[in-house]
Amino acid sequence: MKQIALYGKGGIGKSTTAANLSAALAEMGMDVLQIGCDPKRDSTRMLMHGSWIPTVLDQVREGREATITPDQVVFRGFGGVRCVEAGGPEPGVGCAGRGIIATFQLLEKLDSLKGDVIVYDVLGDVVCGGFAMPMREGYAREVYLVTSGELMSLYAANNICRAIARLASRVRGRCRLAGVIGNGAGQAGEEPLVRTFADRIHSRLITFIPRDPVVQRAEINRMTVIEYAPDSAQAGVYRSLARSVLDNRDLVIPTPLSMDDLESLAMEFFPA
Amino acid sequence: MTSNPLPWNSSRLEGCTLTGALSVTTEVTDGVTVIHGPAGCSQHNASLIHATLLDHDTPHLLRIHSSDLDEAGVIFGGEGALAVCIREAAEGDPSAIFVLSTCVVQTIGDDVGGVCRRGWGVPVIPIPSSGFLGGGFQDGMRNALIAIGDMAADAGDRDGGITLVGEKNLEDDVEENFREISHLLALLGERTSLRFVRGMEGAAIQGLSRSRLNILREPELRAVGEAFGARFGTPYIDSFPVGLSGSLRFIEDAAGFLGLDPEGALEEERARQEEALAGFEDLRGERIRISPLPEMNMGGCFIPEVAASLGLVPGEEGVSLPIPSPLPVGTGGLVRLLHRWRRILHA
Repeated sequence: MKQIALYGKGGIGKSTTAANLSAALAEMGMDVLQIGCDPKRDSTRMLMHGSWIPTVLDQVREGREATITPDQVVFRGFGGVRCVEAGGPEPGVGCAGRGIIATFQLLEKLDSLKGDVIVYDVLGDVVCGGFAMPMREGYAREVYLVTSGELMSLYAANNICRAIARLASRVRGRCRLAGVIGNGAGQAGEEPLVRTFADRIHSRLITFIPRDPVVQRAEINRMTVIEYAPDSAQAGVYRSLARSVLDNRDLVIPTPLSMDDLESLAMEFFPA
Repeated sequence: MTSNPLPWNSSRLEGCTLTGALSVTTEVTDGVTVIHGPAGCSQHNASLIHATLLDHDTPHLLRIHSSDLDEAGVIFGGEGALAVCIREAAEGDPSAIFVLSTCVVQTIGDDVGGVCRRGWGVPVIPIPSSGFLGGGFQDGMRNALIAIGDMAADAGDRDGGITLVGEKNLEDDVEENFREISHLLALLGERTSLRFVRGMEGAAIQGLSRSRLNILREPELRAVGEAFGARFGTPYIDSFPVGLSGSLRFIEDAAGFLGLDPEGALEEERARQEEALAGFEDLRGERIRISPLPEMNMGGCFIPEVAASLGLVPGEEGVSLPIPSPLPVGTGGLVRLLHRWRRILHA
């Protein structure tokens, strides 16, 4: 079983990437489980044709964790992808990080963490230990950073490198960086910048996904690109990504950049 | 936020704000205390206080409710659980509900003050606590005293009596110390009108604003004395007296604040001290050794004064004698200490 986690800045396109990756893997005959680890609960929505599925933490909120069954939290989406949303509290109250931990404990209890590939789609920044849960022992060993060429996106990716390096240094830490997925924001010179960033943290660019209007059209139609435009070039990019992820054995402990180095890198590609 | 829970800083005086605050709020006899957090926090602290009171042969029913915060409360916020708990507590028609918060509540950011401000039909008073995150035992006690004091309306007149502030309700000698202070005040023709907070009904809180003098149990409560002074204009003495000269100084200070002539009281107390010391003449010439603990407030180093008065001989080769913490209060407390020393020296 391959367990991968996608991390990156909020709004950068992690969920779109994760959903299309899961769809492409399912097309290849894989049994895929995608877990949205964000209180926004929209990770699997395109796989579910726009449906907001009940979340694991909805069950906790209702006090049903003792009687919960897998069919109350695991739902079949496009291509048979099994979809789970952790959910979480309303903004400004409670502890969403604790919610992620509770979700994982519940899914383990239900014996639902299984399949050929598990894709964890995690909230933008690793703001507390709860959001690092997918990187801990027993869960995703392979972490992919999703980033555009924007400085703040690279900054978030670099912060996640710090978390990976810290967790990897633990005695039983098995989490490693598997690579960088570039998700284009439409800037010129973006791909080489993201590639250079990947090199400097001692990793590599797995795939660069160019910006394409078909992504938005697919989302308006509540589908993944793989389903909405299976013959499009963009669908081909996602399939290529899926193959790369399946074949990837190049796992490293990254070397995060200092803030100065990160800014210098941006200056190299976008001089003032 | 505090950094106090370090291994070398784990004495009972540090502890948890909950224990300190509970040692105050549970002494409002017709009040109820709500602890917002996991049930274990309530159980642990209530057990600790109950066991201590039992040890002192003064057990009483602790009116404590827990909001019983569970996993869902932590994840989704615990304000709803707190509201349910306050509602239940209010059904008993208490004079006031005191709300304490735990570490986890502070961590997840529940707006405890906001819930307390809703209309409950009874005063609901949030006590700044936040478990270990909010500080130690002393912080909880101080914050509880100030918060409960805020319930008193300013009557405008200082025509009341004398208030004892912050008695250590969990110490062995709390009633003996009260009697000692009562004795010293009686020498001046005064008496304690309010024990804030010990065995006190909620309605009595209003007497705080009319107090002519506040006597704090210990200097660590100066912030409480300052707060009440700023609010009601009441002066304060910052601790119960320790030692022979400390007791005489206490009389002078109290007389000064109350506008009284201390001479008669001083003469009576000096005579009492001489009579008391005469009863320990058999200790004269005994070689003693005192090893003060670093955490102990030496209260003006009363030991050399006592040793000189009794003819005790301090030195490294002497018999090791204990000094209790808290230090003995007044002449009466000193006499109890000397009885204890005699048992050791004559063992």
